[in-house]
Amino acid sequence: MVQERRILYEHLDVPDINTFDVFRQYDGYKRFEKTIKEHQPEEICDMVTQSGLKGRGGAGFSTGLKWSFVPRDIEPRYLCCNADESEPGTFSNRYVLEKNPHLLIEGILICCYAMGISTAYVYIRGEFTLGKRMLDAAIEEAYRHGYLGKNILGSGFDLDVYSHPGAGAYICGEETGLIESLEGKRGQPRVKPPFPAVEGLFHKPTVVQNVETLCNLPFLMGQGVEWYTSIGRTYGDTRFDPPQSDPNTGTKLYCISGDVNKPGVYELDLGLTAEELIEVAGGVKGERVKAVIPGGSSAPILTHYELECRLDFTSLTLWKSMLGSGGIIVMNETRNIVDCLLNIMKFYAHESCGQCTPCRWGTPWVRDIVQRIADGEGRQTTIQRPRFGIAEGGRWGDTGEMEEVYEDLDLLESVANNIANVDTMTWNTICVFGIAVSWPAVSYLRKFRPEFEAAIREGKLVTLPVEEATVPPEENYAYQQRIVPRLFEAPA
Amino acid sequence: MSNELIQIETPFQFSEENQRKFDKLIQRYPVKEAAMLPTLHLAQKQAGYISPAVMEHVAELLELPVMKVKDVVTFYPMFFEEPVGKYVIRVCYTLPCALRDCKLVLEHIKEKFNIDVASETDLAKGTTPDGKFTLLKSECLASCDVAPVVMVNDDLYKNLTPEKMEEILDGLE
Ligand SMILES: Cc1cc2nc3c(=O)[nH]c(=O)nc-3n(C[C@H](O)[C@H](O)[C@H](O)COP(=O)(O)O)c2cc1C
Ligand code: SF4
Ligand code: FES
Repeated sequence: MVQERRILYEHLDVPDINTFDVFRQYDGYKRFEKTIKEHQPEEICDMVTQSGLKGRGGAGFSTGLKWSFVPRDIEPRYLCCNADESEPGTFSNRYVLEKNPHLLIEGILICCYAMGISTAYVYIRGEFTLGKRMLDAAIEEAYRHGYLGKNILGSGFDLDVYSHPGAGAYICGEETGLIESLEGKRGQPRVKPPFPAVEGLFHKPTVVQNVETLCNLPFLMGQGVEWYTSIGRTYGDTRFDPPQSDPNTGTKLYCISGDVNKPGVYELDLGLTAEELIEVAGGVKGERVKAVIPGGSSAPILTHYELECRLDFTSLTLWKSMLGSGGIIVMNETRNIVDCLLNIMKFYAHESCGQCTPCRWGTPWVRDIVQRIADGEGRQTTIQRPRFGIAEGGRWGDTGEMEEVYEDLDLLESVANNIANVDTMTWNTICVFGIAVSWPAVSYLRKFRPEFEAAIREGKLVTLPVEEATVPPEENYAYQQRIVPRLFEAPA
Repeated sequence: MSNELIQIETPFQFSEENQRKFDKLIQRYPVKEAAMLPTLHLAQKQAGYISPAVMEHVAELLELPVMKVKDVVTFYPMFFEEPVGKYVIRVCYTLPCALRDCKLVLEHIKEKFNIDVASETDLAKGTTPDGKFTLLKSECLASCDVAPVVMVNDDLYKNLTPEKMEEILDGLE
C-alpha cells in the first residue's frame, strides 16, 4: 500500500506546536534564516521555478512562473494568502491554521523576502474563528521574537503580516474576488487581464497564494530543489501516464471524504491513483465505488471505470477533470447521482456573485432543472424525426419515426454549456466559476445519463446498480480522450 | 432614508474596547475602506446584527457613503440585517455532510424548537420565539472529514447525530 509521506503535516500533532518555542524545536524559522543567509531573492524565485511547485489552491499554476510576472519596479507589492478554503470537500488549510500557524508565517516570510514584499494579508474565511485566533496569536509571537516587523534579524528586510476575515462568500476564494473583498467591497471577481500579479490589491502588483503552496516553501528552501523534485511518484507504470514534460513534484494534502472508512487529510506524493487513495483511506464504505469527485465539487466526476486515473495536475487534465483543491469525495453504490448533483447545484446557485448574466441566471436555472428531475417532474416529449414521404392514406406528409426524447436533459446540457462550454473550454463569464458550474452539471449528466433518464421515465429518483447507472467507457466522452502517446517505451 | 431611520433608532457607538480594536485595525490598510469586513464583524459582535444605525456609524468611521456599507452587508451571508437568536446554529448541508446524514440533524433541530430554517430574507421564521436560537443551513464548513458538522456561534461540533446535537443544545444556557 502507498505510504504517507508527511512533510507539511509532519509535526501537526506535536503538542503546542502552535507556540513559538515548540515550533523552534522542530526547525521552525531555521529554514527562513538559512534562506536569507544563503540566497538572494532572485535565486529563490529560480529555485521555486525549478522545483516545479504548482499552486495548491485550485488552478495548479506554476508558482515560479506566477512570481516572474510581478514587476519589480512598482512599489509597494502585496502578498495575499488565500485561506478562504470553501471549495466543498476541502479541509487541509484549516488544520494548518489551527494547529501549526507558524509554518504558514515562515512560508509567508520566504515568499515575501523573495518578492521584496513588505505587507502580507492572510484572508481567512469568516467561519474559521479558531484558525484566525491561532494565527493571530502566532503572528503576535513572531513580532515579539523579531521574525516580523522592521529589519527582521538585522537583514534590513521588513514585513508586516495581518489576518483579514471573510464573511461567508465562496466566491471570495477566487483571487480577484478575494482582492475586491479585502479592499472592503463586494467580493465580485474582476475582469482579467490585468492579472493580480500586475495589478491587484490597491491596484499594486499582488501575489495570491494558497496556504498549502506557501507551506511548501520552508521545506523547499531548507532541503533544496533536488530533494524536492525527487518527491513524486515514478511515472510510466500505468497505462495512461502523461508525458513528463511537466512533472508533478512534491506532496499534496489530499482531503478525502464521503463514503470511505477513514476520511481525513492524507499527505502523499503527488500522482497516486484514485484507487490507491481510496485504499489508503480505509477503503470504500459500502459495497463498491459508484463515483469519485477528484478535486472539490467543481471538478468533473469520475466513474468507477476511471479509478486508474492518477490524482495529479497533468493526468487529470487529460481525463478532462482536474485536481483542483485536492478534495476527493467518494460515493458508493447507494448514492443517487441526480440527488448529488442537486446538492452541488444548490451550492453554486447560492454562491454566484451575480455579476454576469449567464452565471446569475444560468446557475439557478440548472438547479431548477435538476430539482424538477429529482422531484419526478422531468420533462419528456415525443418528437417526429423529419422525413417527408408518402404517409398513411396515400398522401404526402411526415413519415419520420416517432422518438421519445428527454427534453430536460438536453436543456440541462445546453444551459450549462452556455454558461461555460466544457468541450471548447470557453466561458461566457468573468471568472471561472462558470466552468465550476457547468463542469459538474455536464459531466454528471453525460457519465451517469441512465440514472437521469430513469428519474424522468419513472417520475421519481431511482438509484440504479452501479453498472447500469454508468455510461460504458466506449461512450464516455472523457474516457475516449485519455489514452495518451506513450513516451516511456524503452529504446529498442 | 438614513436620516429617518436614525431618528427612530438609537444611534450606535463602539464600546471603548471595540473602539480601541478598531483604531488598531484601521492602521493595517492604506485605505480606510479596506477595514470594512473586520469592522462590520466587530460591530455585529457588539450589536448582535447590522442595523441601519450600525451601518451609519461604520460609514462615518470609514468615511464612506452609507450605501457602500449597505452594499457590502447585503453581499455577505455572515452579516445579519435583522435580529438573530443568541445562538446561531449553522448546519452544514453540502455534499460530504449530506452523504453523512446531516439531514437527520437538521430535522431534529427543526422539530425540537418547532422552527423552520431561516433564509437570508426571513430570519424570523428560523428563530425561536424567545430569541435564543436561530437555525441556518450552511455551505461546506471545511470539515468534511468529521461530517456531519454544525457550528453554533463560533464553535464547531463534529461527527454529529441527532442525540449528540440534542445534548449540545441542552447544554447551552
Ligand atoms: C470559484 C473559485 C473559488 C476558489 N476558491 C479558492 C479557495 O477557497 N482557496 C484557494 O486557495 N483558492 C481558491 N481558488 C483559486 C484561486 O483563484 C487562486 O488560483 C489561488 O488562490 C492561487 O493560489 P495558488 O497558486 O497557491 O493555488 C478559487 C478559484 C475559483 C475560480
Ligand atoms: S462567473 Fe459568476 S461568480 Fe464569476 S464573476 Fe460572473 S457572476 Fe460572479
Ligand atoms: S460538507 Fe460539511 S464540512 Fe464540508
